[in-house]
Amino acid sequence: MSDLFSLPFEEDKSRPAAPPLPERRVLSVTELTAAIRGLLETGFGEVWVDGEISNCRAWNTGHVYFTLKDGGAQIKAVMFRSTVRYLKFKPEDGLHVIARGRLGVYDPKGEYQLVCEHLEPHGLGALQLAFDQLKKTLQAEGLFEQARKRALPSLPRKIGIVTSLDGAALRDIIKVLRRRHPNAHLVIRPTRVQGEGAAADIAAALRAIVKVAGVDVVIVGRGGGSIEDLQAFNQEPVARAIAASPVPVISAVGHEADVTIADFVADLRAPTPSAAAEMVVTAKDEFSARVTRLSQRLRAAARSDLQRRRANVHALTSRRGLAGWPARLAMRGRHAAELTHQMGRAASAQIARRQRVYRTLRLRLEARDLRRHLSVIKSRLGDASGRLAAAARLTRHRADSNLASLAGRLGNLSPLAVLSRGYAVCWNADRTVIIRSAGAVAPGDRVRVTLHEGELECDVRRGERHGSDNQGF
Amino acid sequence: MDPTIKDFESAIAELETIVKRLEDGDLALEKSLELFERGVQLSRFCHAQLEEAERRVEILTERGDVKPAPTAFGADPGEADRTR
Repeated sequence: MSDLFSLPFEEDKSRPAAPPLPERRVLSVTELTAAIRGLLETGFGEVWVDGEISNCRAWNTGHVYFTLKDGGAQIKAVMFRSTVRYLKFKPEDGLHVIARGRLGVYDPKGEYQLVCEHLEPHGLGALQLAFDQLKKTLQAEGLFEQARKRALPSLPRKIGIVTSLDGAALRDIIKVLRRRHPNAHLVIRPTRVQGEGAAADIAAALRAIVKVAGVDVVIVGRGGGSIEDLQAFNQEPVARAIAASPVPVISAVGHEADVTIADFVADLRAPTPSAAAEMVVTAKDEFSARVTRLSQRLRAAARSDLQRRRANVHALTSRRGLAGWPARLAMRGRHAAELTHQMGRAASAQIARRQRVYRTLRLRLEARDLRRHLSVIKSRLGDASGRLAAAARLTRHRADSNLASLAGRLGNLSPLAVLSRGYAVCWNADRTVIIRSAGAVAPGDRVRVTLHEGELECDVRRGERHGSDNQGF
Repeated sequence: MDPTIKDFESAIAELETIVKRLEDGDLALEKSLELFERGVQLSRFCHAQLEEAERRVEILTERGDVKPAPTAFGADPGEADRTR
C-alpha cells in the first residue's frame, strides 16, 4: 500500500520538489482515472467496512445508494439490485452495518465508492432486523389493530387449510377435527412452507383458498422448526395475503414460543396447528350449546307462560262471587248466540215481508196508474168524437142554411120572379133579342111577350117613345 | 329450507330475542303462541344445520380444481369407502 502514497496525483509541498521526470508525459483525464481505478480495484480487493448508513436511497432500478460513515470519515457506497435481493432486511439510515465489498471508481464523476456485496446488521441478526422492520411497517399501516380481528364463524361450512401436505401440522389438524367435529368439511391447499419462494407460495395459496365457495375460515401454518424454517411466515407477501383475506384467518406456526409476523396480522393466533383446529371446533361447540340452551329456554318459557295463564284463570274463577261465572258466561254465551240467531231470522223475515208488501203496492200502483191513463185517453177520445159530431152537425146546418139562402138568391135573380111581380119581357119575334125601346119596332111587327104565366104573341100597332131617363128598370 | 331463515347466525339471534320476549311474559296469548311456534322452527333449523354437514376432506390443486383428498388425509378407510 505504500506505493499508493507515492502517486503523483497530489503535490506534497512539504517534500522537496520531485525530481524532474525524465520525459514530460501528459495524461488525459480518462487515462488518469483509468489508472486510479486500476490501482483502487486491484490494490484493495475485498474489504469489510464497519459503519453507519446515511443518505440511503433506493432507486427504482433496484440499486441502493448510501453513505457509510463513522466519526471521522465517510465513503459512498452502492449495492446493486442483483445483491440487494438477497438481503433479509432493508438498508436504511441510521443502521449500523458491516459491509463487504470492493472499491470501485465511477469514471464520469471521478468518484470512488464501495460496491457492497453483502450487508449485515451490526449486533442484531439480519433476520431479527428484518422482522423488526416489517413489523414496524405493518403496524404503522394498522394491520395489527384489534378492530380488524374478526370472530370465527359459529358453524364453518368449509374449513380452509393452507400448509404442507406432508407436514405434521396437517396431520394434527385432521386428528383434532376428526375427534371433535366428525362432519367437518375441509379444503386443503398444499403449499411449500420453507425455503426459497415459500412465502410467495403461501401467499398464492391463501389467495386461492378464500375463493373456494363455502370456505369461511382458514388455518395457515406449519409445524415447529428452526427459526430459519419459519421465515416464510415472517415475510411481507404472507402478511399481506392474510390481511387481504375476506374470511377470518387463524395462524398456526411452529410452537407456542414462536411468534411470526403472520401471527400479528391473522384474526386469531393459535399456538400450534392442533390448537387452531380446536378453536374452530370450539366455536362450533359453543354454537351447538347455545342452540340447545335456547331450545330449552324456549320450551321452559312457553311452559311457564301457559302455567301463569292457567293460574290467572284459576285465581279468577276461585274468587268468591265469581265462582259461578264460567257457567253463567257459557250460558250467556249460548243465550246470546240464540238471540243473535233469532234476531237474524226476525230481521230477514221482516225484510221478506216488507219486500212482498212493496211488490204488491207497486203492482197496484202501476195498475191504477194505467187505468187512469186509459180513462183519460177514453174521455179525451169521447170528447173529441163528440166535438167532431157537433162540428159535423154544425157544418151541415150551415150548409143547409147556405143552400136555402143561395136558393132564395137564385130565385130573386130568376126572371120569373120579376114576372111574378107583374113585369113582362118583350122579345122580337124570334125570341132572340129583348125589345128595350119602342123605336126598335115598327107598327105591324110581331113581338112576343113573356108573362109570369105564359106568353103572348102580339102585333105592334103603334109605337110611342118615352124619355131616355125612364129607360130600363 | 325455510325461506324466512337466512343463516345460523341470524336464526340464533332471532331465537334469542324470541326466548327473551317469552321469558319476560306480558304477551297476548296469540302472540306468545306465534312466538313459540317461530322459536321451535328456528331451533329445529339450527339443530338441522349442526347435523347436516357431511364429513369431507378435499384438496384444492394449484390449477384451482377441488378434488377429494387421498384416503391418508381423509376419514378412516371405512368412511372414505362409503363416500366413494
